[in-house]
Amino acid sequence: MKKSVIFVLIIITALSGFSQVTMATPREETLIIDQISRYTYSNNYNLWTATVPNHIRQTLLFDTFWYPDQLTGEWINALAKEEPIYNEDYTQMTVKLREGIFWSDGIEFTADDVVFTVNYLMKNEGLRWGAEFRQNVNKVEKIDKYTVTFHLKEPNPRFHYYFTVRFDACYIMPKHYWEKVENPMSNNFYPPISLGAYKLKSADPAGYWTLYERREDWQRTSEGMVSGKAGPKYIMSIFYNTPTAKAMAMERNELDLFMDIDIDTFKDMIQRNPNIRSWYKDFPWAFPDEIDHRDIAFNLDVYPYNIKNVRWALTLSLDIVDLVTNYMEGVVRVNPMPQPATSYHMEHFHIPMLPWFESLEIEIGKNETFKPFDSSIPFQIADWAKKEGYKVPEEEEKIIEQWGIGWWKYEPEVAEKLLINEGFTKNKQGKWLLPNGEEWKISIIAPPDEIDAYTQALWAASNWRKFGIDVQIESLEREPFNVRNNTGDFEVTTQWSIGGAASSFVDKWPYIQGHHSRYYAPIGERAVAGQQSNIVRVKSKELDPIIDQLEKTPTDDENKILELSQAYLKTWVENQFSITTTSFKKFITFNETYWTNFPTAENPYGQPLYWFMGGKFVFPYIQPK
Amino acid sequence: MKIRSFANFIKHDKNMMFSIILLSITLVMILIGVFSKYDPSQYFLFPKSEPPSRSNIMGTTSLGQDTFLTLAKALPNSLLIGSMAAVISRILAVFLGTFGGYKGGKTDGVISVIAESFIVIPRLPLLILIAFTFKQQLNILSMGFILAILDWGWPSKRYRSQILSLKEREFTQNAKFSGMGDVEIILKEFMPFLIPYIIVDIISGIIWAIGMETTLSVLGLFDLEIPTVGTMIYWANYHNAIYRGIWWWWGFPVIFLIITIFGLYLLSASLQNYLDPQTRIQRIKVSKEEVKE
Amino acid sequence: MKKGFLNYFIPRIIQWLIVIFIGITVAFIIPRLSPVDPVETVLNKMTGYSVMNPEAVEELRESLQAMFGTEKNIFVQYGEFWLRLLKGDLGPSLTMFPVPVIDVILTSLPWSMFLLLTAIVIAWILGIFIGTITALNSKKKWAKILEGFVTFLYPIPHYILALVLLFLFAYLIPIFPLTGAYGMGITPQFNMQFLFQIIKHSFLPALSIILVSLGWRALSQKALVSNLLSSDFMKYAKIGGVPKQTRFFYLISNSALPQVTDLALSLGTVFSGSLIVEVVFSYPGLGQVLQSAILQGDYNTMIGIVTFSIIAIATASLILDLLYPLLDPRIRRS
Repeated sequence: MKKSVIFVLIIITALSGFSQVTMATPREETLIIDQISRYTYSNNYNLWTATVPNHIRQTLLFDTFWYPDQLTGEWINALAKEEPIYNEDYTQMTVKLREGIFWSDGIEFTADDVVFTVNYLMKNEGLRWGAEFRQNVNKVEKIDKYTVTFHLKEPNPRFHYYFTVRFDACYIMPKHYWEKVENPMSNNFYPPISLGAYKLKSADPAGYWTLYERREDWQRTSEGMVSGKAGPKYIMSIFYNTPTAKAMAMERNELDLFMDIDIDTFKDMIQRNPNIRSWYKDFPWAFPDEIDHRDIAFNLDVYPYNIKNVRWALTLSLDIVDLVTNYMEGVVRVNPMPQPATSYHMEHFHIPMLPWFESLEIEIGKNETFKPFDSSIPFQIADWAKKEGYKVPEEEEKIIEQWGIGWWKYEPEVAEKLLINEGFTKNKQGKWLLPNGEEWKISIIAPPDEIDAYTQALWAASNWRKFGIDVQIESLEREPFNVRNNTGDFEVTTQWSIGGAASSFVDKWPYIQGHHSRYYAPIGERAVAGQQSNIVRVKSKELDPIIDQLEKTPTDDENKILELSQAYLKTWVENQFSITTTSFKKFITFNETYWTNFPTAENPYGQPLYWFMGGKFVFPYIQPK
Repeated sequence: MKIRSFANFIKHDKNMMFSIILLSITLVMILIGVFSKYDPSQYFLFPKSEPPSRSNIMGTTSLGQDTFLTLAKALPNSLLIGSMAAVISRILAVFLGTFGGYKGGKTDGVISVIAESFIVIPRLPLLILIAFTFKQQLNILSMGFILAILDWGWPSKRYRSQILSLKEREFTQNAKFSGMGDVEIILKEFMPFLIPYIIVDIISGIIWAIGMETTLSVLGLFDLEIPTVGTMIYWANYHNAIYRGIWWWWGFPVIFLIITIFGLYLLSASLQNYLDPQTRIQRIKVSKEEVKE
Repeated sequence: MKKGFLNYFIPRIIQWLIVIFIGITVAFIIPRLSPVDPVETVLNKMTGYSVMNPEAVEELRESLQAMFGTEKNIFVQYGEFWLRLLKGDLGPSLTMFPVPVIDVILTSLPWSMFLLLTAIVIAWILGIFIGTITALNSKKKWAKILEGFVTFLYPIPHYILALVLLFLFAYLIPIFPLTGAYGMGITPQFNMQFLFQIIKHSFLPALSIILVSLGWRALSQKALVSNLLSSDFMKYAKIGGVPKQTRFFYLISNSALPQVTDLALSLGTVFSGSLIVEVVFSYPGLGQVLQSAILQGDYNTMIGIVTFSIIAIATASLILDLLYPLLDPRIRRS
């Protein structure tokens, strides 16, 4: 009797061990996505304080005026009915709001909410966007129920960027909730009043999962109005602490969508479960268009990285084909300049600038010049892919589309010449010595939790060591990594977005304004914050006038904006202030057992970046199988 | 006489036998590692993630390293850290324990209390804090040192109690009367008694230190490019080796770690047995019988 | 009688105070040696997302300085540290600013306590049991194998054992889940299903802790019992025909006391072991909080956990010490 009981118990446990997810809602009606982080202090939906994780929740529950789709560049008017209206001298911005949008508790969204939000954020310290509004806004005025006018302190043709989403933008607050709150810093905004198509249904108190339910009145939201579609009835976000757990969940069809995973695990997963795929059905699988770029950057205030020829030498002693084929298995594009190599930007920047790259010359000695650009690199990678047995496009444009326009030549000999001209020497063991005779040691800081950044650090270290320089990698956790970047406590870093990221429009200004020398911060002081951090401490007489001009150019003069943005990039590249290496790929992976119609390479209707705020316009299109 | 009885002891003690077998395996790996010119930080020298084969007997890692040779480099590093930590901590423990025990009174009280604190305080969180703080300066030497300063508590108490009993013996009084200084007494009279215990103790110190180093490395709190058993497992986890079925990457380091630790443990257990007076008497009986035959 | 009581208690309470004092001071000093500036970290977090201009950043920086006070004189800082500690304030978490560290700890503490207490009690009882029977049957083969097994486990680092168990029983033969304290989609509630979930998820972590602690307990128990068996009173008891059960009881009751003291001394190690086991199994207790604090460089949380563990373990140890006289009549009488 006892033995059989034990036997039965084991069987039960064995069977139940398989499933990690207990569904309160029907599986076919629930889209299960990767939560990316654990909401350790749960039930805090006050995304206006800077330290609460905002991805996914911002997508499903919050909203703002304008969204350029981060893949296609399509301008989506969300809470606003049309694009911003400026007056002649850009001292006023008027926004016409969409009518018929309602909060999840039945109250209508109106200009009152907008006016309240701006005033509230300005009034209360420590809330996001408060400081920017205080700086820019004189007064925000309600014209009528659906119209708001901002009166700016100074002419600013870019004021609307605060409400234009790349990753996020100013979330509009429900007046009827927050007007009763005295101390917003300690308020949890729970239960959250949603402006998006979903509302909160239930959540794990330990922060591991959250269940959202589609609002019955989903048509009264911007997603509903823009897409006209309903989207999954339930969305459940789950945080799996380890990639192993995540991969196993997806393999067992218990997870439909996740943000990223390393390439090796991905390849194993798709072999075990044919319903799993990423952006491309086959090689190179990964979504190549996350709107950023990877860099190996120098601290321009540290010797010898302040010397242009030294930087070029370091670039020319890196073998990018080695990185892309051995380390990254051909799933990224090479990128020679600090502008995201997405399809949108390749069209406006990389491809038109290719002739300029090919003709770029640097001086490597007395009357000796050298053309460092190599446009054959994407083709070298294509050849490698062919040898590996992957299907490779034949047409030139397609190869460039896949692997980029080219990169710098791998020329250690030219690199040597450059260094010798600067007084560097090699000792008997083949190690490089600084002009003062000391052995040259490079220290790279890199965060292991950002896989690609860390991989590139390993690659750079390996290549430079081969070249004869002693390299040490300091692995830093995310926060110390950020702090050291910002305070300039590094020699070489693998921080990304160096030289400026971008959104899906050609105006580079928001991402480079911090690189003007007036914002320069010496080592020990923090560089200007956010996307504009001048981490590398560039102080360039060549860049300043470009940035100044760009600031003055109104955003509707697209040609001038493009020209200036390109000029900035050319200057940056000539000086090699940082080495941009590759595009920003993500193995955004989905499982098509229960759901389908995710954006893919065959059907690129919108950004698959579901944790960005703009993901909200993709969810409505995901359909049950 | 001593050597002969020791030799007899080795012949008969099973623990010692197993220990020697296990530690020989470790020793072979160490020798291979020391004399090998392989550089684990040269990534992608081999095709990555390959299972054990004739060309790579323990397979390759996802970074294109040969697992066997990397382990051969890693094992001595781990042992080096462990040994350094054990030796330094025991030196510290001997000094503090004997000094306190001999002097008695307030000095003894103070040292005892501090030692007690270091025993009660949970060491891992503290170690994590220290390793995190000094992340930049972490290398084999500094890690050994950090581990050492947290492992002297328990040993110092043991040595202290030894000293307390030795203090009361006649030969101590004799030494005092003959005008020997305190330090001289400790070094000349007490140490010979203590040394066998210290040796056994160092071995347990190594075991603890290797375990801690592995734990810290696995959490990423070490220089990740220095191969140790812990960093190998870290990288295997980083690359999701369990899910991907790359069992050789973490499996072999684990096996060799267990072999080494267990070998050391058996060594210390049998040495302890050897030193224990009660079992000594039994051994003397046995060897006398052998001599008769 | 009272004097005897006090003689026993007071030194131990003083000991407790000193242990905490030394531990906390060490926990205070170490981070001050670090280049990581908590103000910078939080500032960084707050300005990470939004487009903040230099003036706004300065504004924020000053208010953070006032809060954390890292620029004040070190003795002032030390004093303030103790004052805050006495109020139970361990400072704010850096990654979840301004959530207090103590809140984060208290939220995950119940899980750790559940795991730890269960494992400690089971390991203690099981260890004493195994030690005793191996001592009584020391010639038999099965006893030797059991002893060998337990000896084998003893020196293995917690992490390795947990990893092997995870691999064998959550991956290779997927009987147990890989992560968490309960499945996804369930909210904690008082019913059989939830209880079953908890057991299923805590089984392997608890087993890891138990197996490693078992070794030491069983071995020392065996040594104690062997000694007792050869002692006079046990020999007389056997000769005098005292029944087997009673003799067994003598053995247990006489060896249990030193084992209690030993338990008090090994709390630190078991606690540390449980932290690392939690990391391996992604169990949502203090270990997990510690691991994410490490991953994110949340210094305040790390210090908070160190401080908290020191106080908790020292206090637990003290409590055990104070209970000892209740169990040992010899001490009571003196």
